[in-house]
Amino acid sequence: MRRIVAQARKELTQIVRDWRTLALALALPVALLLLLSVGLSLTVNELPLVVQDFDGSTASNGLIDAFRASITLHVVSWPVDKTAEEALASNAARAVLIIPSHFGRDMARGVNAPVQLMVDASDANTAKLVSGDASQITSAYNQRMAGGMQTGPVQAAIRLWFNPGLSSKKFYGPGIFVLALSMFPPLLAALAMAKEGEQKTILQVYVSSIPAHEFLLGKIIAFMAVALAECLVMSLLLFTYFGLSFAGDPTPVVIATILYAFCVAAFGTMIGAIIPNQAAALQAVAVGGFLLVFLLSGLIFPVENIPEGLRWISYIVWGRYYIEIVRDALLQGGGWPAVWFQVLIIGVIGAGFYGLAWHGMRKMQVKA
Amino acid sequence: MRKLLQYLFNYRLRALIKKEFNQIRHDRRLAFSLIVPPILQLTLFGFALSAAVSNVRLGVVDDNRSPESRELIATFTESKSFRLAGYYSSVDQLGDAISQGNVDAGMVVPYDYARDLVRERQTTVQFLLNATNANTATISRAYAESMIQNYDNGLRSQGVSARIQRVTGSQLGLRGQVQLQPAFLYNPGLVDSWFIVTGVLGLLLILNSSLVASAAMVREREAGTIEQLLMSPASTSEIIIAKIAPLFLLLFLMMLVAFGVVKFAFGVPFQGSVLVLLCGGALCILSGISIGTVIATFSKSAGQAQLTSFFINPPLSALSGALNPIEAMPRWLQPLTVLNPIHHFATIVRGSTLKGSGFMNLAPNFLGLLIFTLVFVSLSIWRFRKQLS
Repeated sequence: MRRIVAQARKELTQIVRDWRTLALALALPVALLLLLSVGLSLTVNELPLVVQDFDGSTASNGLIDAFRASITLHVVSWPVDKTAEEALASNAARAVLIIPSHFGRDMARGVNAPVQLMVDASDANTAKLVSGDASQITSAYNQRMAGGMQTGPVQAAIRLWFNPGLSSKKFYGPGIFVLALSMFPPLLAALAMAKEGEQKTILQVYVSSIPAHEFLLGKIIAFMAVALAECLVMSLLLFTYFGLSFAGDPTPVVIATILYAFCVAAFGTMIGAIIPNQAAALQAVAVGGFLLVFLLSGLIFPVENIPEGLRWISYIVWGRYYIEIVRDALLQGGGWPAVWFQVLIIGVIGAGFYGLAWHGMRKMQVKA
Repeated sequence: MRKLLQYLFNYRLRALIKKEFNQIRHDRRLAFSLIVPPILQLTLFGFALSAAVSNVRLGVVDDNRSPESRELIATFTESKSFRLAGYYSSVDQLGDAISQGNVDAGMVVPYDYARDLVRERQTTVQFLLNATNANTATISRAYAESMIQNYDNGLRSQGVSARIQRVTGSQLGLRGQVQLQPAFLYNPGLVDSWFIVTGVLGLLLILNSSLVASAAMVREREAGTIEQLLMSPASTSEIIIAKIAPLFLLLFLMMLVAFGVVKFAFGVPFQGSVLVLLCGGALCILSGISIGTVIATFSKSAGQAQLTSFFINPPLSALSGALNPIEAMPRWLQPLTVLNPIHHFATIVRGSTLKGSGFMNLAPNFLGLLIFTLVFVSLSIWRFRKQLS
């Protein structure tokens, strides 16, 4: 036990000494959380919309006013002598609304008046949002013009649960919290471990009285401490700036956090033990910790959208389970019945990493 | 002009470039790691990342159990947007299922649904949505609303509420309806991967070129051979140019392969001029290399250089609009994308492949990239000189 603590203390001293690693450990997670939460969301506001009104009647102005009132769309001006396609090609607008001449006359006669909406669909998701919003605006306009009498026989009363304000900050905050935890502690752990191999100080460990599993445990505990410190700093931010709070029983997330800290620290140590080269180990952690967790864990894009052939990869991405637990604890509040399996899996993956790290360290001894 | 060329390609520079090429040739891993992982990443992310909302799991509480209610449920579950995940006997059970994440949405049909329809009264169906993911919730809400609307229209044409409509029509006098006809330009099939791969391309180019460049620049310092280079008659600019040129060629090759993947694996149409695309790519690689060079001048070892790039790359890629629309960022952050080479390159790629925009439309982005590259290249030369003296 004493040996483990001594090993952990040595690691922590080394982290504090270099400003780069210290900043990486504490400042960067917070910066990432603030930066990515605003930089990642897919919910858009004020998309530029160009209106070309060839009618200029009261009716057409009424329709344009309905579009002006929208939060999602933002009507921008566009010279009349330029074509609508040019606005889209030069990225001045996301969509163009074209109101033909005779629009007002057709409306007054009781003939249905077509209006064209040209959407820049190079971003398919945003294009869907724009066209959905525009069709809602026009149907609301139609209803208002008809005196609100033409509502259909079946009405949908839609309730938005867990995040009624549709704030994407609340959704991405927990996700990025997990991303930062999956990235920085293993990065530091891998660097520390690879350094031992690179500088051959690992030989000193082999001749000392500390057994391999205690050495590894000491390292892992040090980086678990880093992870938990990061976790504390970031949750402070989540509870204040992001306005989140525990939605239900907090015990699953507390236990999962400790297990996850172990899991990521073990992952970093494992990479460092298998690849005793700092630059290469760093790249491996960047792929494992950043790319996999960033892209295949459901952080931005839902896991269900990953094609069947690739979805199995996401089953072994440890961050995926932790994201589900954190989102559940902060937004849905399902508690143990909802997430016991995820907590278990994190423990299993962490133990697997520990085993592999041990194996890798024994191999390193043969090589050294 | 000739003199300039002569100066640029004098024998010193040629020799230096040859040396760099030889070093790269001996380092097979570099060439391999430059081509294979980026292509794999591009394919993986292109296929795996999709913001499309389909097959939303729908749980149903049907308190009515009539042909009418079953028809309404079938309209939802038979569409591609929703998928029936199960029937629940009470609203509480449905609520539990939503909060445990077994279903994403729930629909509650009231017990008097069919009766109200027959009596031509208005009836309300409750629709619950798990809104933790704001984007998915917004899109599924639009799906649900349009489905109910279509169902209503279907009922009207069947004559259930035809009487109501006729009365209102005569009361209000004739009044036409606005019919919105959306046209999806540039990507009529709404293929999600087109947006993703064109963005990931820029991300990969910048990240890889900055990593490779910083590693190459720092290597001489780490090995201590930089003094020997300085002893040679070559100037600092020549040393830097000689270092950059082979990397540039390798990265350009990687870009060409990546364009091939984008075209043939994902079927992205190349509407615009290839020349514009290649010029943009060349500038993008140069700016990536210049970022790497600047990073290298701030670090003493390859490990440090990579660590420093961790401070630069995440914000650069997150605030680029490569994976999500720029309008999703807060207003005050949006102007900052002007300083981001990934943003400019993504715009150029999307413009010249999907939209077929010419050089004139993309001129601001070219200018942005050019200025960025010039500033960073001169910064790196200046830092390099300062360190040497």
